[in-house]
Amino acid sequence: MWRKSKPYLLLLPASFTIILLFFGGIFDGLLKSFGYFPAIGETGLNLTAYDRLLHSSDFWQSMALTLRVAALSSLISAIIGAFLAVALFFVNNSTKKAIPRPWQRLFQLPLTIPHLVAGYMVVLIFTQSGFVSRLLATVGWIDGMTEFPVLVNDSFGWGIILTYAWKEAPFVALMLYPVLSRIHGSWRDVSRVFGAGPWQFIREVVVPVIMPAWTIATFIVFVFTFSAFEVPFLLGVTYPSVLPVYSYQLYTSGTLSDRPEALAVNMILAAITILLGLVAYYVSKRWNVLKGWG
Amino acid sequence: MKTYPLAALGTLSIILSACSSEDADNATNADSLLTADWDAIQDTAQGQEVNMYMWGGSDNINNYLDEWVAPRIKQDYGIELNRVPMNDAQDIINQLLDEKIAGKTDGSMDIIWINGENFKAAKDNDLLWGDFTGQLPNFNDYVNADAPEVSEDFGEPVEGLEAPWGKAQFVLVHDENQYEDPPKSMSELADWVKQNPGQFTYPAPPDFTGSAFIRQVLYETTGGHVQYQQPAADIENLEERLEPMWQYLNSIEPYLWREGETYPESLAKQDQLFASGEIAMTMSYDPALAASEVLKGRFPESTRTFILNGGTLANTHFLSIPFNASDKAGALVAINELMSPAAQTAKLSPENWGDLTALDLEKLSPEQQLAMNEVDLGEATLSIEELEQNRLPELSSEYIDIIEEGWTEHVAKE
Repeated sequence: MWRKSKPYLLLLPASFTIILLFFGGIFDGLLKSFGYFPAIGETGLNLTAYDRLLHSSDFWQSMALTLRVAALSSLISAIIGAFLAVALFFVNNSTKKAIPRPWQRLFQLPLTIPHLVAGYMVVLIFTQSGFVSRLLATVGWIDGMTEFPVLVNDSFGWGIILTYAWKEAPFVALMLYPVLSRIHGSWRDVSRVFGAGPWQFIREVVVPVIMPAWTIATFIVFVFTFSAFEVPFLLGVTYPSVLPVYSYQLYTSGTLSDRPEALAVNMILAAITILLGLVAYYVSKRWNVLKGWG
Repeated sequence: MKTYPLAALGTLSIILSACSSEDADNATNADSLLTADWDAIQDTAQGQEVNMYMWGGSDNINNYLDEWVAPRIKQDYGIELNRVPMNDAQDIINQLLDEKIAGKTDGSMDIIWINGENFKAAKDNDLLWGDFTGQLPNFNDYVNADAPEVSEDFGEPVEGLEAPWGKAQFVLVHDENQYEDPPKSMSELADWVKQNPGQFTYPAPPDFTGSAFIRQVLYETTGGHVQYQQPAADIENLEERLEPMWQYLNSIEPYLWREGETYPESLAKQDQLFASGEIAMTMSYDPALAASEVLKGRFPESTRTFILNGGTLANTHFLSIPFNASDKAGALVAINELMSPAAQTAKLSPENWGDLTALDLEKLSPEQQLAMNEVDLGEATLSIEELEQNRLPELSSEYIDIIEEGWTEHVAKE
């Protein structure tokens, strides 16, 4: 009995804390989003906050922006990340040696930098008065800083997308590389025998192999960028703002009556994330990712 | 090995149980502090650890507290002063409110730095400890308690719930080498902005300074501040009255930085844009901030501040003690020390902070007055007389909420 339950017992303290803080927070947010707020004398439950949100154009504008930024960020990260992983794999295959360390370290660098710092770096480097703009002006490529394209705090969200692409591409690569490294070197030789060029090999062998892990990695990036706050706060525009920033603005607006709406935004974010998670889980089950392959 | 999970569970339960026998004693002792004599308070404060929660967005202010104040308080009174940086005073209020709902009686905040925007919310929700300023020797000796800027905070009666720490006034900042004659009124500013497109902007509310700029516009475009000294609910046609302000802000919007498509999300971003020459003006609710930025080499030497002919907003900022502070005696002693003439004189220097004193100069001894007057405020700072003669009172915080929400509606979306 003890033997069987021992691992669970050992996990109990940690999981208890996680459950308490995580679900406690979600439950509390859920209650407040239904208007339960004793501090201002509201103890009834209602759907007013959701109703007001779903009828406000601000919310839908934010939603559209958030979806666009998250989709583009995760797509670009996925493409660059896959490209990196495959390139590394080919370098590895041709040299028959492990990747030299400095290269590996270079690709891992963005993983070690916090998002907030990455956001600030992009501000300092890519604003119109930033590093790149000054460099180009000094060299004489552009006449003044106003000629430099607006990449930060632009209404499309390029600054945000740029930051995420740079930050998350190595993450995608890191998720894919172990899968790729299971492709036996002999397969490449076999494909050559059958007359497949490198592109065909990638299309027919590599892509199907990495597809499951790739989907999952892209999904993780999407969910993260969909609900992250600091990068859009630094690099976004005043209006419209992405949903997490919109929620923050509602929450800190100073009037307590806006709080249920702020938390309703968070609940909607959480619900969408869970929904997407279920979709990804279903898809991955169909592809047998979870069983691994060996 | 068997005992390990149990031990872990035990530890966890200890951490999670926020229950100690000291709580009950604290509550009774705390209220007696409001009537105890000062020596007894100092004795109780010995060895206490005082957490000061405050906006942490300025290196100068942080250094002044860490390097100048904390060591002295440690040496003279045996009190550890811990500065806890917060992003916004509103976060402090939010946290206290949550602690109040949760019934937390041994809070971690001992001193909080707030002003009118948050004071009203704190007072209305009973988040503050009580009428404590009468206990502070330095308050009794050096502060004119009847002066309107001390007895009222953004129009809200203070009632001893918070102690004045310093005074601030809204100023605009420019580089005199670039533009010699800065605009001295809102209509001149509008002309200036149209002649120099892309060179002006202001931080988006709820940023404190951006919000103050909008109030400055309100005063000049809607006929003065006097009409807003009454509750907002009493003004029937408030929407119509605010209309000229929105019109003004929308009329300059196309000529702002980035055609007004976006605004800096914080004053820090705006200062960054000014420092790198992307815009030609910035602003501050801290008259000596520009001087200290020049000292640090961030702003050019030729940076100057200016105010508008019609006067600019001024306010007093305060220190208070939350209802559930664990070390109230230590908090009292620390606040008293922060209000001492020596600490206030050090605070006045742009090298430390450059914040105007909350003390009444008339009440200081001749030596103390001399020390204050000898502080070099820096080339960029206006004289204290000029600032004093052009002070306008702040609005009550209900107006600020209305204006900040209205700005998103009327200006940001347009």
